[in-house]
Amino acid sequence: MIKTEELQINIGPQHPSTHGVFRMLVTVDGETITDLKPVFGYLHRNHEQIAEVNTYLQNMPYTDRLDYFNSMANNHAYAIAVEKLAGIEVPERAEYIRVLMVELTRVLNHAGALGFLINDMGAWQTQLAFGMREREKILDLFESASGARLMCNYFRFGGVVRDLPDDFMPRLKDLLVAMPAFIDELERLLRENEILLQRSEGIGILPRDLAIAYSVTGPVLRASGVAYDVRKAEPYSVYDRFDFDVPVGSVGDVYDRILVRIEEMRQSKRIIEQIIEQLPDAQGGHINPKARQNVRPPVGDVYARVESPKGELGFYLVSDGSTKPYRYKVRAPSFINLTPLGDMCRGYKVADVVVILGSIDIVMGEVDR
Amino acid sequence: MDIQRGNIIVMDRRTGKLRAGQGLLQGLKVVWDHWAASFRKNENFTQIRGNFTVEYPDERLQLPQAYRNMPVLLYDDESGHELCTGCYQCQRICPPQVIHITQAKDPVTGKMVPAATEFIIEYDACMSCGFCAEVCPFDSIKMDHVFELSTADHDSLTMRKAQLNRPISYYTSIAPDLWEGVKAGAMKKLQGNIKRRPGVIGMAPSLTEKIKARRQELAEAAAAAPPAAAPAAPAAPAGKLTPEEKAAKLAAMKAANAAKKAGGEAAPAEAPAAELSPADAKAAKLAAIKAANAAKKAGGEAAPAEAPAAELSPADAKAAKLAAIKAANAAKKAAEAAPAVAAPTTGNGTAAPTDEKAARLAAIKAANAAKKAAEQGNNE
Ligand code: SF4
Ligand code: SF4
Repeated sequence: MIKTEELQINIGPQHPSTHGVFRMLVTVDGETITDLKPVFGYLHRNHEQIAEVNTYLQNMPYTDRLDYFNSMANNHAYAIAVEKLAGIEVPERAEYIRVLMVELTRVLNHAGALGFLINDMGAWQTQLAFGMREREKILDLFESASGARLMCNYFRFGGVVRDLPDDFMPRLKDLLVAMPAFIDELERLLRENEILLQRSEGIGILPRDLAIAYSVTGPVLRASGVAYDVRKAEPYSVYDRFDFDVPVGSVGDVYDRILVRIEEMRQSKRIIEQIIEQLPDAQGGHINPKARQNVRPPVGDVYARVESPKGELGFYLVSDGSTKPYRYKVRAPSFINLTPLGDMCRGYKVADVVVILGSIDIVMGEVDR
Repeated sequence: MDIQRGNIIVMDRRTGKLRAGQGLLQGLKVVWDHWAASFRKNENFTQIRGNFTVEYPDERLQLPQAYRNMPVLLYDDESGHELCTGCYQCQRICPPQVIHITQAKDPVTGKMVPAATEFIIEYDACMSCGFCAEVCPFDSIKMDHVFELSTADHDSLTMRKAQLNRPISYYTSIAPDLWEGVKAGAMKKLQGNIKRRPGVIGMAPSLTEKIKARRQELAEAAAAAPPAAAPAAPAAPAGKLTPEEKAAKLAAMKAANAAKKAGGEAAPAEAPAAELSPADAKAAKLAAIKAANAAKKAGGEAAPAEAPAAELSPADAKAAKLAAIKAANAAKKAAEAAPAVAAPTTGNGTAAPTDEKAARLAAIKAANAAKKAAEQGNNE
């Protein structure tokens, strides 16, 4: 038998599969990984400190830049945190609009994430193009409501910045016709595909206990078999009014993560349909007219969390009674989901690393803040 | 874990119904179908197959009205009146702090007037958040739809007022519905507060007329201003100011302004000078204040005081002229006194030069400033 020497190699920080500037210090024995250390910090831009010199409202567009795929979900978490802190009420209609936007965000995030994951496996661009097509349709809707495709900056304390435009609902309904076709097709393309099975089945297993120990959240946790979803565990906004299921996996490998994400898109579509039904009856306008944007919350601290498409996104704010947060901390799901990467990769091949990383679905803007 | 309103569904893994290779073929069929459909242009968003590509830049999508890219400033098409009052709301809220406003000041009183003399936005650092447009109480700053702003150099993205100005008609063409909303809101505000500044949307026609007339008057006055620093000031027969008078007043005002500025600047200039004698500093400041007062008196009060006299004797006119000149000189003197005092002190650390010297220097500088002021008056 040939004896090989252990070798340390760097994957990243400039590497197309690392989803940003992210470095992995990999120790390999031949093709097998014996150790992996994630190295973060290349995209550090002082987000939390900047937030402490800004007023509460001025931070809203900065939260867009955390997980730039899901600006709406980031806005939501931050808005909830400040509203809790300052005691601002949100009208019913605004809550529905918020949830609608966040669920659309979930669909577009998963469509994109699966596309990138398949990309990492080597099916260059095909699935990604299909996912991006659906994503663009949703971004069109975001653009018509908020004015921007990615950096939406749509939420305000006590509601959203403006009501849905007139042509929003018809376009949304068009989109909902296409969505099941897209999801079914995605399943047909991926689910039984032998190459995909080879690359994902039994790869990057994250056992249930380990997932809990690392406080992993989101689809990665659910794929490991834990039915934990902030929307169910601690319903915020109007999530207690909707019927939807929580998909979980049984093994906790890359394949389960793909399946969970596909099913989550279906559930999001269910929620959106219920919103369309209930929205016309919702009370109030798009924003609480009494809510001051220049908030000066009373002294105190607050932690608010939402189920962002990537996991539990939380904001911890401390107010000293001024117009600026005294402390501002983000609990970023991408960051925490990335910590067990070493354990997930140990024992697999080098080629699996990018697939496992892709299956966690990280955005470096959120990891490094 | 129990959950409310919904179930936990455990995902089925592979069904095992398919034989080896069938899953792959099934996937290939999906790709094939897409390829086959890609020759047909499709704009129907209920479908997922077809060619959805928009061939930018030959084809362009219609941007939604709410689209925001970079902020621009609006002015009234007819009167050219700029809506911005320089209220600093947008500068204050801008998260990356890229807006820089210079507020216009009334030269006589030194009070703020509702207009901006300069308005700079650093487009290269603007994050397109739209807060400035949201907070502006005068609907002056709005988000533009132009997104092709690439340049090869950084500096050209620092936009000045002249580059930012757009007519209202431009904004109504890109966002008609939003402008309707603005108008409705402005009308409401106007009814509540008629003092809201002139030239804004939804203003009563009579007011527009008045502003137009006033504007015309001002333009004529500026055109007629002679180049001399302090021209004759034959008093107006009836309340209204003649162009010459106005020019005189203007020069005086500017002098006063300069004096004040010098007063303001004197303080920081004196700070670093460790051994500055307090007497000198005080004297300089005092001179500045006196000059400002004199200037104010001469420019501001001379005209109204003489106004009732229907026909002014030439002697009076002469006196007025003299006063104006003197005031201007005094003001300039004072203005320059302060820096003149401060500068040498820092050099050798001993006491400042005598007041006489400073005064002389100031006089020279004042003359220069007066000339400049006159030229500016001409240009306006
Ligand atoms: S859009 Fe935002 S960042 Fe840009 S100038 Fe306005 S307030 Fe500042
Ligand atoms: S908020 Fe409006 S009126 Fe005030 S300074 Fe800015 S642009 Fe001018």
